Amino acid sequence: MSKNTETVTFSTQSAEETIAAGHKIAAKLRPPLLLILRGDLGAGKTTLVKGIAEAYGAAQADEVTSPTFTLLHEFLGTLDGTAGGAQVLLCHLDLYRVDDERQLAAIGLDEMPAPESIVLVEWGEKFAALMARCDGEIVVKSLGGDAREITLKLRGQA
Amino acid sequence: MTEVKQGRGRVPQGLILGIESSCDETAAAVVRGGRETLSNVVASQIALHARFGGVVPELASREHLRAVVPVVEAAMAEAGVAFADLDAVAVTEGPGLPGALLVGVSYAKALAFGLGKPLIAVNHLEGHIHAVLLEVLAARADAQIPHKPTSGLYPPHEQGPVRGGPGNGAPGEPFEAGQTILALVVSGGHTHLYLAQEQNGAWHYRNVGRTVDDAAGEAFDKVAKLLGLGYPGGPWLDALAPFGDAGAVPFSFAQIKAKAHRRGEAGALDPKEATYFSFSGIKTAVLRYTQVHGMEERIAQRRAALAAMPGASPKRDLELVRALCDQETLDLIASFQRAVVEDLRRKTFQTAERFGAASVLVSGGVAANRELREHFTAEARAQGLPIAFPSLKLSTDNAAMIAAAAWPKLVTGKFADERLTADAALKLGV
Repeated sequence: MSKNTETVTFSTQSAEETIAAGHKIAAKLRPPLLLILRGDLGAGKTTLVKGIAEAYGAAQADEVTSPTFTLLHEFLGTLDGTAGGAQVLLCHLDLYRVDDERQLAAIGLDEMPAPESIVLVEWGEKFAALMARCDGEIVVKSLGGDAREITLKLRGQA
Repeated sequence: MTEVKQGRGRVPQGLILGIESSCDETAAAVVRGGRETLSNVVASQIALHARFGGVVPELASREHLRAVVPVVEAAMAEAGVAFADLDAVAVTEGPGLPGALLVGVSYAKALAFGLGKPLIAVNHLEGHIHAVLLEVLAARADAQIPHKPTSGLYPPHEQGPVRGGPGNGAPGEPFEAGQTILALVVSGGHTHLYLAQEQNGAWHYRNVGRTVDDAAGEAFDKVAKLLGLGYPGGPWLDALAPFGDAGAVPFSFAQIKAKAHRRGEAGALDPKEATYFSFSGIKTAVLRYTQVHGMEERIAQRRAALAAMPGASPKRDLELVRALCDQETLDLIASFQRAVVEDLRRKTFQTAERFGAASVLVSGGVAANRELREHFTAEARAQGLPIAFPSLKLSTDNAAMIAAAAWPKLVTGKFADERLTADAALKLGV
């Protein structure tokens, strides 16, 4: 596998389409993986995670809620979304409230990703050390109204 | 309940040490008989600075680890209780942050084992419900003393203070055993509706509503931040809202229809009768409003001004901060708060009616919001439903509510065993 960065972009016009883009992105991810999930407040980061969790059969879209206060939500599913598929643990983190790099270890980020996990970190760009070791990022950008541009950037993944 | 206990004699006092470490706060409390709070200590409120070299927000398990022993010691000392006097040790087992929860659970297990006392596991959300019930019981006990006003309880039709001691209240008294209570737990991390009922001394819960994205308190905090009022800034919005026109900006909530859940899925709500909240959209709508109305520069100025006044509080510095807000901003704040409060009120009372709830209680940090209290109290009066809120101290995370929720479990002998572990995704009720 090359070390080149693979970039895929999706344009969506509604929350439903953003969730559908989440399904497509889910199909491109293979654990272990740690991605920074970037986007302004209200860009639709949690909405996108709803789609990814749904694709893995790890949670219903309406069960994926914001981890801002709780910091970490975990969802256990399978890569192909079926009961017999390879297990994947989707970890959805939000570092919005975290200002101190020392706290990252205590949250357990140092041990992530585990072999079976796909880790999505909102507001991870606040921490240089995390940016240096991540496997890429997903950027959600508002184009005005409900339109969004979602870009997946993966550093050469096995 | 008291009579039952005294008859048994196995639990002479009902002294429970509660420990809470599910998220930001390390807390410990001693509560007697589920009603009398002897101490209620929260780490961020006591001076650990000198001893531990500065207080970091209790976000991480490491901070809980540093705080748990001194906080428990402080709670025991304040209560004037020796470890040997305890009848049980109670701890939050979830939901929350795994590492944070584990500190409380491990400590409580070791302490209970070392003392040879029963260990009781409490769900954090159940704790929030019992924060209110604890004060209802305390107020009722107080009401036995003539002319002492009750607090936290608003009986219907201006009946005056509720009379009668716990367990011997007249049939039909608010929050008595057997009645269905609708509980709204609303905070920075939760927006849940539960039916709660006491049967034969044990409490039973059913989840009948929740948010599908952001918690209500999170919407408050994030809107405050995007208006330049810092984070978490929910209390600022509450304080500033009265100066704005709540009808200025019409916010609307989309009707949320959840998809049918997989059959037999544990903890799944029945979509036909569940209530769903969504507070992500209104946060985005506020953001869009500020962009469309060119408010960015004023927000940046406000952010800079507030950054220069660390430790500013809505109680002390309201006039200063109000002066930083133009009328358009105040109107936006008032409209946002009105929209969220009205959405919570409408859906909560619709749910109460749907399930024939005999009373309503509101708990969690957002229960401290003044407009929410006013609107919920007015609606409850209009419908003849008793309603109760926690005091400010018990609305945010604390351990008194954990010790209070553990009391019925002590009475009914529902103890945790040595396999107890933290459950970050623990659900409450069926």
